[in-house]
Amino acid sequence: MRWNAFDTPVHDSQRVYRQLLSAMAEPGTFAEVGGAPLPPSGAAIGTACWATLLTLCDLDTRVWLAPELDAAGINEALAFHTGARQAERPDEADFALVTPATLAGQGEAEPPAFQEGSDTYPDRSTTLVVMLDRLDTAGPWALSGPGIPGQRRLGVGQGGEALMTRLAANRARFPRGLDAILTCGTRLAAVPRSTRITRSASEEVDTCMSP
Amino acid sequence: MTASECSASGYNFAYLDEQTKRMIRRGLLKAVAIPGYQVPFGGREMPMPYGWGTGGMQLTASVLGQDDVLKVIDQGADDTTNAVSIRAFFERVAGVTTTTATGEADVIQTRHRVPEQPLRQGQLLIFQVPIPEPLRFIEPSEEETRLMHALEEYGVMHVKLYEDIARHGHIATTYAYPVKVDGRYVTDPSPIPKFDNPKLHMNEALMLFGAGREKRLYAIPPYTRVESLDFEDHPFEVQQWDAPCAICGARDTFLDEVITDDRGGRMFVCSDTDYCQSRTEEVA
Amino acid sequence: MYVAVKGGEQAIANAHRWLADRRRGPRETQELAVSQVEGQLRLAVSRVMAEASLYDPELAALAIKQASGDMVEAVFLLRAYRTTLPRLAETLPLDTAAMRIERRISATYKDIPGGQVLGPTYDYTHRLLDFLQLANAEVAPPTAAEETLADCPQVLELLDAEGLIEREEDDGAEPYDITRDPPDFPVDRATRLQMLARGDEGYLLALGYSTQRGYGRNHPFAGEIRLGTLEVEIAVEEGDAPLCIGEIEISECQMINQFGGSRETAPQFTRGYGLAFGHNERKTMAMALVDRALRAEELGETATGPAQQAEFVLAHADSVEAAGFVSHLKLPHYVDFQSELELLRRLRREHAKRTEAAGSDVGTQADDVTPRASHSDLVKEQQA
Repeated sequence: MRWNAFDTPVHDSQRVYRQLLSAMAEPGTFAEVGGAPLPPSGAAIGTACWATLLTLCDLDTRVWLAPELDAAGINEALAFHTGARQAERPDEADFALVTPATLAGQGEAEPPAFQEGSDTYPDRSTTLVVMLDRLDTAGPWALSGPGIPGQRRLGVGQGGEALMTRLAANRARFPRGLDAILTCGTRLAAVPRSTRITRSASEEVDTCMSP
Repeated sequence: MTASECSASGYNFAYLDEQTKRMIRRGLLKAVAIPGYQVPFGGREMPMPYGWGTGGMQLTASVLGQDDVLKVIDQGADDTTNAVSIRAFFERVAGVTTTTATGEADVIQTRHRVPEQPLRQGQLLIFQVPIPEPLRFIEPSEEETRLMHALEEYGVMHVKLYEDIARHGHIATTYAYPVKVDGRYVTDPSPIPKFDNPKLHMNEALMLFGAGREKRLYAIPPYTRVESLDFEDHPFEVQQWDAPCAICGARDTFLDEVITDDRGGRMFVCSDTDYCQSRTEEVA
Repeated sequence: MYVAVKGGEQAIANAHRWLADRRRGPRETQELAVSQVEGQLRLAVSRVMAEASLYDPELAALAIKQASGDMVEAVFLLRAYRTTLPRLAETLPLDTAAMRIERRISATYKDIPGGQVLGPTYDYTHRLLDFLQLANAEVAPPTAAEETLADCPQVLELLDAEGLIEREEDDGAEPYDITRDPPDFPVDRATRLQMLARGDEGYLLALGYSTQRGYGRNHPFAGEIRLGTLEVEIAVEEGDAPLCIGEIEISECQMINQFGGSRETAPQFTRGYGLAFGHNERKTMAMALVDRALRAEELGETATGPAQQAEFVLAHADSVEAAGFVSHLKLPHYVDFQSELELLRRLRREHAKRTEAAGSDVGTQADDVTPRASHSDLVKEQQA
């Protein structure tokens, strides 16, 4: 299983970072990550997700991986390319790789409790990096708040309910909370804790289906 | 590392090492997610003194790409010595194109002004911040101010502004005028004149703030509510001048006073040199 | 017609050329070699290394030369260089008991195992200008001891054996690294010591002095001051013997201070600690005094002096930060100043108007000020 790094790490990671920064600053907008390495076949994550990890992780970060995404030797690849350490517990993670199903809780198990920071240090919280099978504007979720003139629509595909319910819960705990980077194939978007999320009727627009 | 990742000076692209950039980049994502909250970061020594824009420079160095066009202003002007020095630094260590035209810049690093020309979506405005804590001059202890932010306990700030009114009939804060971001955090907009405060409200550009010596960074995302603190019967108001700009005739800009002789002669000109010049060219 | 001052770039370049010329000085005198600074201004080199947190005598000497002897500027130059260095390994903790002693004195016992060693010191010199040095007179070599000193036990360990002094325990915790993460007040002692170790000597001296004059008095005795060289080791592979990567000169001061203790614990002497690169005796003494002062809260003392206020002491100790922020006042502040001018003129106009209308009600409207509805939470707070 070959996991590749960026061709020119300094410039490629800068470019992806600016896309992440824009996504976080303008929730509900999308970026297509170009020129980033494709994860090997058998991997459970896509290009945008891998590029995000290569861009943000290093020796100083701990990453928690949802069991369903542990495929094709991703942990070893991540340690090799970034030096990131594995988080033993979800609340120790700087970044957590999850799917909506992770947040729904599997079977009897409670959904993992990630770090939300404290009222004095709300920044010391886990950032979710979410793998989605769909990421578009064709969803029932209406976003508003900082970075959004008026409203933006978001569709996050199967099991989106658990993800969006979890993110909507941020509002009540603000400034504590979880920020989410959403990925689907080469596409990425973000929903920071400052975003207000409501549910409304769905409509069909601009879809990204992961391969 | 490829040749383009290293500049002629032998330093990494944009001076900072990649690990420092990543630390700042992660901090900036949190800052954007919690608008107005000051994120502590491991500020590094820069080859320029603390207090001279090292915070803004570290942020710029962390976000800047080789295709970006950079503008640097100090007091609104592109040709003030510190702006010249910082611009030359990034030309040297990042090899980026620079400009003085606000509209052409992707990244603008600024000290003490928001450009007069409205910014557009996708632009980044990076502020140099000396004292990021708006409550610092009321409460010197970091331990205390951190708690005040956590509890959203901002009464002291209003008391301070109130005392000004009692004494002078006006709020005596004319720059670094505190704002409330998205209805939650009281935030220092850096020492911009209060004239510029309204421009922060629902601005289309992403605004990042870096305080190097104090090792704090924070952000105001685009399209974000930014209110200047005030009172119902003493509403926030901005500076006004009796005369227009002596060069371009603008009546809606922040004016610098220029002393022209030793007999009390003075004139007023736009502090934003690019704006003033583009207006003069339009008229000509 | 007013034209904005252009050509800043040229002006800056010219200023720097002039500066370089001034640094070089009269061309008829020989240019100062970095090796001369390193070899003959070694106390300056020590101070720059300590406050820059970088042990490199040659580069410290270069910084001093480049800064024309301005120590604060030299510290800044070396510090700015330091941040660009990669971190390749972490050294093992130094054991100062294993120091090859050059100087070692105690003010608490007349004689100590290992003996009092004066070493190279300005103490007891008569501070008379030595005019012979104007003529570069030759200096006789020192008389070296026949045999090197055996390991000298730490004086404070002798007290420790009797239980008379508090014991320092290593809690095994990973120390916070102030060069990587911003200090997060309140900070623990290890963090405080790091900040003091790179703190400005003059500042620490003044603060330490203030504790002696009653602003947080703690009855210090110079238990032991030692200066010498020490091997620096790194761990290579687990199980292998540590690898020595070189030797550094280091100064250490251990103060013995008046006792703590309570109903539960027997009274004991307490400690203040100072450590610095190079020969930095005054700095380590001042540091030890301030370290002890900052332990006020931990030892249940009432903080009465400035030297006991941790945030105050630590946030202002760094000369690079302090010099930068003070010097930034030289940068243009046209805009802020203009804002103040505009308000001041308005206030004076209004004041004049009020004075003119003498006899009428002069009060301000401050009595009926209410914060805006959008800040109603604040109003509630104020009323509470």
